[in-house]
Amino acid sequence: MRATRIVLVVLGVLVLAFGAYVLVTTVKPNRIGGLAVWLIAAVVLHDAVLSPFVVLVGLGLRRAGRALRVWVLVVVQTAVVLGSVLALVVVPEIAAKAHGAKNPTVVPFDYTGRLLLVEGVLLVVVVAALVIGFVTARRSAGTVVESTTIS
Amino acid sequence: MLRRLLGDSRAVLASPNRNARSAVVFGRLLGIAFVICFGTGLFSHFLQDPLPWMRFPTRPTQLYQFTQGLHITAGIAIIPLLFAKLNTVMPALLQDPPVRGPLHLLERLSIAVFVSAAIVQVGTGLVNTYQWYPWPFPFRQVHYALSYVLIGSLVIHIATKLPVIVRYWRARDSYDAEGRFVRDDTVGSELPPYGLAHPASAPYPRGLVGRVMRWVDGAPAASTTGGAEPSRASRPDDESRPGGQDAADPARNLSPEPSLGVRAGRRERIARRGFFAGVAAATAGVVVLTVGQSSRLGEPFNVFAPRQRGRGPAGLPVNRTARAAGVLATATAADWTLTVVGPRLTRTFSRAELVALGMTEVALPISCVEGWSQMARWKGIRMRDLLATVQAEPSSEVRVTSLERHGGYRIMDMGPEYAADPTTLVALELNGATLDLDHGFPARIIAPGRPGVLQTKWIERIEVRS
Repeated sequence: MRATRIVLVVLGVLVLAFGAYVLVTTVKPNRIGGLAVWLIAAVVLHDAVLSPFVVLVGLGLRRAGRALRVWVLVVVQTAVVLGSVLALVVVPEIAAKAHGAKNPTVVPFDYTGRLLLVEGVLLVVVVAALVIGFVTARRSAGTVVESTTIS
Repeated sequence: MLRRLLGDSRAVLASPNRNARSAVVFGRLLGIAFVICFGTGLFSHFLQDPLPWMRFPTRPTQLYQFTQGLHITAGIAIIPLLFAKLNTVMPALLQDPPVRGPLHLLERLSIAVFVSAAIVQVGTGLVNTYQWYPWPFPFRQVHYALSYVLIGSLVIHIATKLPVIVRYWRARDSYDAEGRFVRDDTVGSELPPYGLAHPASAPYPRGLVGRVMRWVDGAPAASTTGGAEPSRASRPDDESRPGGQDAADPARNLSPEPSLGVRAGRRERIARRGFFAGVAAATAGVVVLTVGQSSRLGEPFNVFAPRQRGRGPAGLPVNRTARAAGVLATATAADWTLTVVGPRLTRTFSRAELVALGMTEVALPISCVEGWSQMARWKGIRMRDLLATVQAEPSSEVRVTSLERHGGYRIMDMGPEYAADPTTLVALELNGATLDLDHGFPARIIAPGRPGVLQTKWIERIEVRS
C-alpha cells in the first residue's frame, strides 16, 4: 500500500508537471493569466455559489421529505437534479446561439423553447407526483413513510 | 467562532449519501470517464499533431468517428457525475482544522487543482462544441495541457485516498446487514459520520445554523430538542417518540415495530438509492438528449445537441463555410487548377481533367473534433492514382494546401498510410451531387479515420514530400 501510494504520487506529480510544461511552452504568458483567472473562478463558483445552492435545495427537500411519500420524493428529487443539469448544459448553448452561430448548421435548434418544454414536462411530472401522493396519502390516512434527500 | 460554524455546517451536511462508499462509487465512474476522455483526447491530438515516427490505423474507417464521439459523450456524462461527486464530498470542504500539516496542505491543494482543472476542462470543452469561445485563452492548447494537469492530479488524488478506496471498494464491506454505512476511522475519510454528527438527543446548535436545522426538522423554535418531530431522513434516531407522528399512526402501530437498526438501515438505503437514481437519471438524460449528433441510435432523441445529422448542404453539416474561409472568389474561379508536385514531375489538372482520370466512390464519415459525425458517399480520384500521374509512390508523405487565406488547417500533412489507402480520395462529388461550395468545391480531401479538420477543403496543391 505504502509503496503503491508513493509510486502513484510520483507519477501524478510528473504528469501534472508535464502538463504545466506544455502549458507554459504553448500558451503566451498573458493568456496564462486569463486561464488562471478562470481556474480560480471555477473553484470560487463551485464553493461559493453552487454548493450553497445545492445545500439549500437539499435542505428544502429534506423538510419536504417529512410530509411526502418515498416515491414522490424520489420523483421530485430526480426531476430537480435532471432539470438542473439540463439547464446547466443548455443555457450556455442558448448563449452561444445568441452570440451568433458561424453557420446555420451550428446550434440549429430553438434551444430556449426546447429547454422550457423539457423543464415544463419535468414540472408537470413533479406536480402530478405531488398530487397523486397527496390524494393516496389522504386515502390511506397518512401511512408513515421513509424519506430521502439529496443532501 | 469559525470553528463552531465549520462544525455546525458539517452537521447540516451530514447525510446518508455523503459517505466514503458513495465517494468511491462516483469516483470510480468519474475516473473511468476521465481516462476515456484522456485516451481518446490524446488519440485525437496526435492525429492532428503527430510525432515524426507516428503512423495510424486507417481501418476501421469509422475509428475516429467512434473515439471522438466517445470523447464528447463521456465528457458530457462527466458533468452530472462530477457534481454528484463534489456534492458527496462537500463536508470535507469545511473540515476542522482546515489544515493538519504540510502534507495535508499539499493534499488539499492538489484537490483544489483537480477540481478547478476538471470544471474548466469540462465546461470549456462543452462550450467549444457550441463553437463559442468566451474565454481569454486558446482553447486547443489549454485543453491539451490541462488534460495532463487533470490526470496528474487525479493520480495524486487516488494515491492520497487509496486506503479509503480499498476499504470501500466493495458494497458488502461498506454496509452492515441492515444497510447502514460501516464507518472505519482508520482509513482517514474526511466525511462526517452520519447519525453521530448531530444525534437527535443533542441540542441544536445556536445561531443561524441551528435555526435552519430546526426549520428543516420542523421543530418548534423555542424547543431545544424535546418534542421535535424530525425529518426521517435527517434524524437517524427518531424512534418511538411519544406524541410524534409515529404514535399517531394506526397502521404502523398495528404491526410490530422493526428494530431501530433495521429502520435506520432502511432509511439510509432509501436515501442513497434516491440520490443515485437522481444522478443516474441526470446522466442518462443529458447523454441521450445529445448523443444523436454522433450516434445513429441517438438520432431520434437529439433534442439539445449542437448539431443535427442530415442538416446542411447535401444533407451534411458544415464547420467552416467558403465565406468564412475567404475562398468565395478563388474556389469558383473558372481557371481553377489542382497542382500536383512529384519528386521529378509537376502536373496541373482542371476539374474536367481530374474527372477524366477515373472516379471511385467510397463511403466515409466526416467526424469532427467537436464530436458530431455523419456518414457520406464521396466520389473522386484516389490519392494513389493521382500520385501515380507524377510518378510518385503510393506510400508517400504528402502536403496538401488549401485556397484558404488563413487558418491553422490551411496546410495539411498526410502520412503514407493515408496516401496509399484505396479509400483516400480527392473528392469531387458528395452524396450524388457536385461538391457544395461549403463542402469544399471544386475539390477536397476525404480519408479514412481522420478528424474533419484534416479533410482539407478547396484544395489547390498536393506536394509529395518523400
